[in-house]
Amino acid sequence: MTADRDAYGERQAQLLRALVAGEDLPEGFAPGKATVASRSLRRKRSRDVAKTWPALAFALGSRFDERFDAFARSTAPPVVGGALADGMAFASTLDSGELSEDARVEVLFARARLVHRGGTLRRRTGPFLRAITLHEPRRLLVVAQIARGSTRARTVPLGR
Amino acid sequence: MTSMPAAPDRRLGLGIGWRPETDVLATRPELGFVEAVAESVDPRRPPAGLLAARDRGMAVIPHGISLSLGGAERPDARRLAHLAAVAQRLGSPLVSEHIAFVRAGGQEAGHLLPVPRTREALAIMIENVMIAQQALPVPLALEHVATLVEWPGAEYDEAAFVTELLDRTGAELLLDLSNLYANAHNHGYDAREALTRFPLARLAYVHVGGGFYDDHGVYHDTHGDPVVPGVLDLVEELLALTDAPGLLLERDDNFPTGPALAGELDDIAAAARRGSARREGVDDR
Repeated sequence: MTADRDAYGERQAQLLRALVAGEDLPEGFAPGKATVASRSLRRKRSRDVAKTWPALAFALGSRFDERFDAFARSTAPPVVGGALADGMAFASTLDSGELSEDARVEVLFARARLVHRGGTLRRRTGPFLRAITLHEPRRLLVVAQIARGSTRARTVPLGR
Repeated sequence: MTSMPAAPDRRLGLGIGWRPETDVLATRPELGFVEAVAESVDPRRPPAGLLAARDRGMAVIPHGISLSLGGAERPDARRLAHLAAVAQRLGSPLVSEHIAFVRAGGQEAGHLLPVPRTREALAIMIENVMIAQQALPVPLALEHVATLVEWPGAEYDEAAFVTELLDRTGAELLLDLSNLYANAHNHGYDAREALTRFPLARLAYVHVGGGFYDDHGVYHDTHGDPVVPGVLDLVEELLALTDAPGLLLERDDNFPTGPALAGELDDIAAAARRGSARREGVDDR
């Protein structure tokens, strides 16, 4: 029997998309078990992202599980970058108003170093400069990256 | 019942999964080996804790999670080279991977998904395993996975599929008793009976991990919970059938403290001793 890898791969892809990207389950699979499996996969992703993005998870508190689950239902895990990329994609769906300052700083530093685009996560190679206002004390946090691998940060006190 | 000899001639003893945050736990005197996720080890600069484990005389086994040997694509040469390099750098006696796929159609699953138990899937996986074996400097052991989802049209049950795969490739068995327990519970078959039909003569080492039952009675193999009694029973059953070169406590999450870890390792060792005693009783007759 000649094994047809392409057709086999397509069947695997259909199952995978049903489990992690919210697509329809192919014929012959038990829907009940697949639902439990999908949920279990999302929970695993959620735990991994919470571990990798502790400030983000803490900021959302009891809302983290629900928000991440909603995101994960329709977004497959990243091809590259694991929980770091997954969390970065998740963070980009949130309003910065929902985040604590710690969480915003966490996201900012990650964005300085990494670029998440089209399912891949890469070291940022171009220049990056962002400033955000933090409070108590009121100050400006400036994060810059000029060349790959060197992220600089400065805090500028803001008077009253 | 005659007891089967374990063919791979290694003595690994008791082991745990190594992580940087649990490095101290790996120095416990009762441990003989550790397993480390291969993808998280840089062969040019392995973690000091792993090198120290190796230097203390512990076997370090790289455990791959991304080769996707059960997938439709042939295994990636770079991933194989990385696994080989890690094994070489750590002086590993073997490496392990999974009877699973983790990517398809350009998408990652982020998890180990089951392979259809059909002749077609078997043929493809045999080819993939042989490609992998050519690229590796040490033997390859394969672990069967826990799954809630089952492909329709199975032509083999799990024990038969694993046996055929290992017979045709010569790969060794990483027997995961928690996965066997989970699948038997969730798909309604007898774990002890299935255990007797796994290819135990090719046993490289054993995973023992924890899990829990959810509100619907579904068992989830999590590696973040204590080992349930049913899994310890399978440790005893296994040792009553055959010697086991190594028994590894799988814990990824909710790391136990030193005393709690010692307790879990003790439970495994005690179950193993009960099983061996039964086996030796038979041999004495």
